[in-house]
Amino acid sequence: MIHFQHVSRNYGNRVAVRDLDLSIADGELVALLGHNGAGKSTTIKMLVGLLRPSAGTVSVCNHIVTEHPREVSRLIGYVPDQPYLYDKLSGREFLEFVADMYGLSSTESQEAIERESQRFELTGFLDQLAESYSHGMRQRTVFAAALIHLPQILVVDEPMVGLDPHSIRLAKDLLSDYTRIGKTVLMSTHTLSIAEEISDRVCVMKLGELVFDGKVDQLRKEISGAGESLESLYLALMED
Amino acid sequence: MRETAPHLEQLFERLPSHEREGQIFWKLRSRMGRNHLNYLLTQARLRTSLVIGLSTFFWLGLFVLFYSGFNFVVGQLGQPGETYHAQTVQFVFTLFFVSLQVMLIFSTGIILYGSLYSSQETAALMTLPIRDERLVFYRFQEALFFSSWGFFLLASPMMVAYGIVVHAPWYYYVYLPALMASFTYIPCALGAIFCLFLIWGLPRLRRIIVGLFALSVIAVAYHSIWRTLDIADADLLGAVWFRETFHRFEFTRGEWLPSTWLSNGLLEAARPQSPDPADLPWVESGKYLIVLLSNALILHLAVLWTGRSWFRTSFSGMNSQQAREIRPRSAWIDRISEHLLVAFPKKTRLLIMKDLRLFRRDPVQWSQFLIFFGLLLLYFANVDRFRQHRTDISVLAWVNIVSFLNLAVVGLILSTFTTRFIYPLISLEGRRFWILGRLPVERDTIIWGKFFFAACGSWLPSAALVMISDLMLDVSPMVVVVHQLICLLLCIGLSAMAVGLGALMPNFSDQSPSKIAAGFGGTLNLVLSALYILVVVFLTALPCHFFLLAGHTEIPPKLLRPNFLRLWLSLGLGISLTVTCLVTIIPMRLGLKAFRRLEV
Repeated sequence: MIHFQHVSRNYGNRVAVRDLDLSIADGELVALLGHNGAGKSTTIKMLVGLLRPSAGTVSVCNHIVTEHPREVSRLIGYVPDQPYLYDKLSGREFLEFVADMYGLSSTESQEAIERESQRFELTGFLDQLAESYSHGMRQRTVFAAALIHLPQILVVDEPMVGLDPHSIRLAKDLLSDYTRIGKTVLMSTHTLSIAEEISDRVCVMKLGELVFDGKVDQLRKEISGAGESLESLYLALMED
Repeated sequence: MRETAPHLEQLFERLPSHEREGQIFWKLRSRMGRNHLNYLLTQARLRTSLVIGLSTFFWLGLFVLFYSGFNFVVGQLGQPGETYHAQTVQFVFTLFFVSLQVMLIFSTGIILYGSLYSSQETAALMTLPIRDERLVFYRFQEALFFSSWGFFLLASPMMVAYGIVVHAPWYYYVYLPALMASFTYIPCALGAIFCLFLIWGLPRLRRIIVGLFALSVIAVAYHSIWRTLDIADADLLGAVWFRETFHRFEFTRGEWLPSTWLSNGLLEAARPQSPDPADLPWVESGKYLIVLLSNALILHLAVLWTGRSWFRTSFSGMNSQQAREIRPRSAWIDRISEHLLVAFPKKTRLLIMKDLRLFRRDPVQWSQFLIFFGLLLLYFANVDRFRQHRTDISVLAWVNIVSFLNLAVVGLILSTFTTRFIYPLISLEGRRFWILGRLPVERDTIIWGKFFFAACGSWLPSAALVMISDLMLDVSPMVVVVHQLICLLLCIGLSAMAVGLGALMPNFSDQSPSKIAAGFGGTLNLVLSALYILVVVFLTALPCHFFLLAGHTEIPPKLLRPNFLRLWLSLGLGISLTVTCLVTIIPMRLGLKAFRRLEV
């Protein structure tokens, strides 16, 4: 479903992502881990079409992102680390705008808004202007917008930042449930406990390179003696 | 659940058409506009009334000015259709429109650059299945609106006044909006294409190229104006001067310039029909409209094409640049400032230095400061024509009035800066208040630090500008002293008002200084500042004015006795000083009190 083939990306002289080869299949929940500046956000931005690779190709369902950005956008729902909403629109108006852009009919749009507002418990503030929303309310609205068209792939950059425990529970359940219906989730996070709890596979990046790609059990076997938790394994991997 | 290729194709086919995308954006704008209007009418009535009132006042003022000007032209040069009238008005129109044309290119390019390449909204929209050309066009529409409203505000009173003065036929008023709108589109589209090309082709050199282009435009304009005015006074406004000036600005009347098409279209529409039945002014004007319209439409297609071809690549290119590293050692300006601030207590000095560093590392702040003060400097450096005819009392009186008007202009521009940049300072500390709050610094010191930063920072350039104006006008030493004193009072009063009201009415929910300044507190600060400037300048300008007239006019000598005038001037200065004390002490006391109790 998602293929990164020999993908590199530079910022001036600095290499942010180096020769990345990564494939993610249907129904997988993959957690992308790494220190700050490891290249996680750059990888995600190349996937959603915000950045072009300096070398290599990124494709989604056999569509190369740089050649078919619009088609790829239809297949992806993206939740950025900093949610953007129009201050002078209510949550409902924003969701209607996004649904319209995905080509949903009026009836489909209303059904989808109802579905997502139930799922993310938005009903209490959906008709207020977004300028009055807290960070958590914004994040939940952006989650709803990313899922309004039930995308084949959900890409989430730091999903738990600023969320309260209840919203974190909501988000975790959502991500797990979403892969159960055959959809794919790529999540970049620093919250290792959540990555361990819900992901099928973890990919660890270090200084722009993919240094591990596999299940947590596999990592335990590779780094024996570092401990059982993903946190201790991750830290041991980073120290190498 | 594996997605099959035909299933995906069905999904793609359901994506909105080009037209539908346009309708969705239109709906978005309508909803945002409606919600914003609701907000303005319910929660920002004062600001809305002020903006509407001042805009109407400005429009009417310009209308009266242009009406009188065109009446003078018609009185001197005859009605449209006569040779001198046509030449003079064409000269004025083309010069006016060509200047605005260049400004529209720049302003659209700069606004579009900000909204396309450094906007969170654009990045969010890029992740939706929106065509790149539609996205660029959506942002271009905003840039078009924001860069051209000033053009309409300036040009519409001029054109309406001209139509009324020359008794233009009804179709002049029908053509007018169409001609202006299609003209505006052309430089704005060129600015957009230029912006996209620059970021796509030469992202690293963008600042240098725009800077060089701006400098060359300023150089050409300055050189032309300088040569026009740099002649002996006896020849000024004479036939030879007019002919030379007319030829010197030949380049503004090039047949390939949209500004020429616009002015020709307007002149054709305004002129009366000649006895020749084949001569139809409305047809001639219509031809120019068609030329403008067809060019605007071609450029519209060019904007879409460049958006589709260049935008995504250029966006990625812009975001590929390595972040600039700031050298940790202090800059020369910091070292000089530290020496200049040596009289302040150490803690206050450190706080001032912090604000100074934030100011100089934010080009949005200092570039606006530089542009406005630079323009004033250019103007003040060229007001020395009044130095001739020094013996004529009416000229002397004008010199005095202009010198005080210059002082008021410096004050009014300073008040916009204190509202835009100083007033939001306390609000902007909100989210980082824990830094200052945890430091062993008294809260009062923070407020005083901001006050001294604002007062000292504004006093140096303002005093220098006022001094240049006075030297160029060659006013009397007494007026120079009065101006410098008033300038100092204005800097203190305006800074205290901005800092005090900013602390009294902080807004911690917005992170944008412009939004904070546009709120109720900012608007109140601006209005009070303007009133304060007018009061202080008026109180001192009037006695100085009569002092100059003493002995030269027929005003009853009793009123112009030196002792009486000296008393009047002293009283004026005394009241100005008292008003300054009030506008300094009251807002600062209220601000300090509110800041001491502040809980973030």
